[in-house]
Amino acid sequence: MDAFAQQLVNGLTLGSLYALIAVGYTVVYGIVQLINFAHGEVFMIGAFGALSTWLVLFKGQTGLWVLPIMIIGAIIASVVTAVLMERIAYRPLRNAPRLAPLITAIGISVFLQEFVRLFYGRVPFLDFPDAKQKVPFPQIDVVTGKAFEIGNVTIQRSAVFTVGALIMCAAALWYFVNRTKMGRGMQAVSQDPDTARLMGINVDRVIVVAFAIGAALAAIAGVAQGLQVTNINFKMGFLAGLKAFTAAVLGGIGNVWGAVVGGVTLGIVEAMAVQFIPGTFGGSPWKDVWAFALLIIVLVFRPQGLLGAKVVDRA
Amino acid sequence: MSKLTLSDDVRATHGSKAPMLAMVGGALVLLSGLLSWSADSTVLDDVSVRFYPIGAQIYIMVMGVTAIVLGVLLRKRPAWMSPGRGLRILGWATIAFVLLLALFAIGYETGALANLNEGLPVALVGGVLVLLAGMVTPEVTLDVRRWPKLSSSLEIVVIVVMMAFLLFAVAHALSLESWTFIAFLLMLVGVAGAVLGTGIGGYLGFVGANNRRPLLLAAFLVAFLFPFTQDGSDANMSIATQIIIFAATALGLNIVVGLAGLLDLGYIAFLGTGAYVGAMMSQSAFATIGWKPPFLVVMLIGSLVAATFGLIIGSPTLRVSGDYLAIVTLGFGEIFRLAMFNLDGNNGPKLTNGPNGIPGIPDLNFFGFDFGESHSIAGFELGRFANYYLLLLLLIAFVILVFSRLNDSRLGRGWVAIREDERAAEAMGVNVFGLKLLAFAVGAALAGIAGTIKAHVDTSVSPDQYIFLESAFLLAAVVLGGMGTVVGVLVGASILKLLPEKLREVNDYRLLAFGLLLVIMMRFRPEGLVASKRRQLEFHEDDEELVALTQQEHLLEAQAEAK
Repeated sequence: MDAFAQQLVNGLTLGSLYALIAVGYTVVYGIVQLINFAHGEVFMIGAFGALSTWLVLFKGQTGLWVLPIMIIGAIIASVVTAVLMERIAYRPLRNAPRLAPLITAIGISVFLQEFVRLFYGRVPFLDFPDAKQKVPFPQIDVVTGKAFEIGNVTIQRSAVFTVGALIMCAAALWYFVNRTKMGRGMQAVSQDPDTARLMGINVDRVIVVAFAIGAALAAIAGVAQGLQVTNINFKMGFLAGLKAFTAAVLGGIGNVWGAVVGGVTLGIVEAMAVQFIPGTFGGSPWKDVWAFALLIIVLVFRPQGLLGAKVVDRA
Repeated sequence: MSKLTLSDDVRATHGSKAPMLAMVGGALVLLSGLLSWSADSTVLDDVSVRFYPIGAQIYIMVMGVTAIVLGVLLRKRPAWMSPGRGLRILGWATIAFVLLLALFAIGYETGALANLNEGLPVALVGGVLVLLAGMVTPEVTLDVRRWPKLSSSLEIVVIVVMMAFLLFAVAHALSLESWTFIAFLLMLVGVAGAVLGTGIGGYLGFVGANNRRPLLLAAFLVAFLFPFTQDGSDANMSIATQIIIFAATALGLNIVVGLAGLLDLGYIAFLGTGAYVGAMMSQSAFATIGWKPPFLVVMLIGSLVAATFGLIIGSPTLRVSGDYLAIVTLGFGEIFRLAMFNLDGNNGPKLTNGPNGIPGIPDLNFFGFDFGESHSIAGFELGRFANYYLLLLLLIAFVILVFSRLNDSRLGRGWVAIREDERAAEAMGVNVFGLKLLAFAVGAALAGIAGTIKAHVDTSVSPDQYIFLESAFLLAAVVLGGMGTVVGVLVGASILKLLPEKLREVNDYRLLAFGLLLVIMMRFRPEGLVASKRRQLEFHEDDEELVALTQQEHLLEAQAEAK
């Protein structure tokens, strides 16, 4: 039972991270039907943005008050990346055959990874570490440090931060989507872009906002990941992005709450698979395989996801 | 490139100046080859001496001559040519050539832009003039009915000249190093793009289509003769073998992506399947299966296993399509890599030795012909890689045969129908699911065969050769070259494999450039370098001129066939 509770906690933590990233896939998909394959890289850049903020402004400090500013730095880095990406690469392709944006996305993904790998350590006037290997991420008081023990279950402080971040972001997102003009505009565009345009909604702006929201949440996920794993690297976006995409599909892509539910579900399934699949195919070497298997099974048998989403028929 | 042109008014008023501009620009470019480029004599094989053109300077002179010729043609334009387009391409290429060499080859390599001498600035002015000439030329509609009518023997001469030129260009390119190589490539792209862009490309395609057999024969003769030009050196042959394996796999992928229009992001897994089958059944001491059949049987098994995987991976196409399918295949690709990584005896059965892979795969031996040893044929020395090259040439001939026969068959037309409109195809009675599965199975089988040979060429297999990035490279070869075409994929594969080999010093930036290249290609030329007309239309549906041109060309081809 302890093992189960422990894996539940682990799964929830992992799942919250996936959920934060998955929202980015799902809002963009809901509006422009584009799988923003480079979203994982936005997450990675968020982590590097937070690290840079810390290195420039607070190097050596560990007080909790640093954290909000690091998060803001992360959000700025991610949002700028995502908006530029939309503007330069995706917007010209909006009416192109569907193969084109997907290949562009792969290109952006590779480009951003390499860009960080090659140039992060070479920013002029700033003494940033070389990003070709893992880079240590600052540890902050209160949110990192000695884990909580409840019975035999260990709860990392960073895990509490991640889950808390997800809850707060979900609440803010709910408010934004349902209570603000822009949020309702987004809903309208995702239902019917042409009619929304006729109703006076600036569709281009809505699309930019969708990219920005996804990027902001991914940036927070990047900080959470940095705090949890204690280091970051330029490759961290690929697998996390793929898993988060799985989560988005699992919940029902295009459905914001689906992304949250899907993320948490995927995290828990993955954690349980490590613990409870017996024999040589269990354990952590195979956990990614089970996650991908879940992705394929969901895509094949329930492409609309757990919560249901827009009809999936895109050729 | 639609947005980068001037308004019709400007063209109407200044159009008459275009030939003059082109000739002056061309003359300046030509002249720049005679001037000194750099104060430092160590870069680009010493371009510091005046009136002694060498390497890159000769290349730029070729560009200058091309510009002058196009300018002359502009004066007296054949109805089927558009020299203006050629001048635009040439202008951009010249500017790119100059800037790249000035900033990086001379500025970066010698450490100071101050080393720059008068030559390249003169060339830059010339390039801008050529570009301007192209831009002020009034747009024209091409009339392909006025194509020169050659007798069939003359057409074959055209093909032979083309092929001879190709062999010369490839052999020359391989003998170059670093920046001179880039300069040559830029020149080649610029001049070939300019010449073909004037409408000669369409004409050559027409001639080629009329003489398919001689064309293929000539192409294979050229490829076959290639190892004999290498003086027994294996350095280039080793690159060539890698290119062929890559190209053969990319051609298999082209069946799936280019013909059937199904995006596969995990395709490298099929090559990997073949390679692992080849390794596990080889004579290697680390092979994990006791059964060691002759290589032809291994090849057959490799292709069958890969085809089976293809069927499994293709089976979700019954229910998912488009982006979702791409992600499913990506998932399968990752599962393959992880499985190969894990099956080391500790986590699951011992099949692949996990991360260590299977090393020590011996060379092939056909009836006493050992591929690992040098052989002397008619006085020419052929090394280990040359042996494999010739074997792989057979493989790629087979792959091209399968590809083009399928493309021209009922199945091929079914794939096109599915690609363009799945619902309509289904309504017309095309067996959509069956054909999709077939595309996956055939493509995978071809990649599997390539894999079994690859295992012996590389002498080892390991999971890190089959990562997602490799699938992205394969896809890039298809997209870059031109989806659905054979020549395009061969070109794309050669470029993607050759560039990193030749640019060792900037190897670190390889992936950065690769990512950027994908983005730029999709933005400006999504149909690829060598586009099939049909594809081009799919990407530019509203280009009426292109539609009309294509119709005319089809008519002519049909007439030629009827004769």
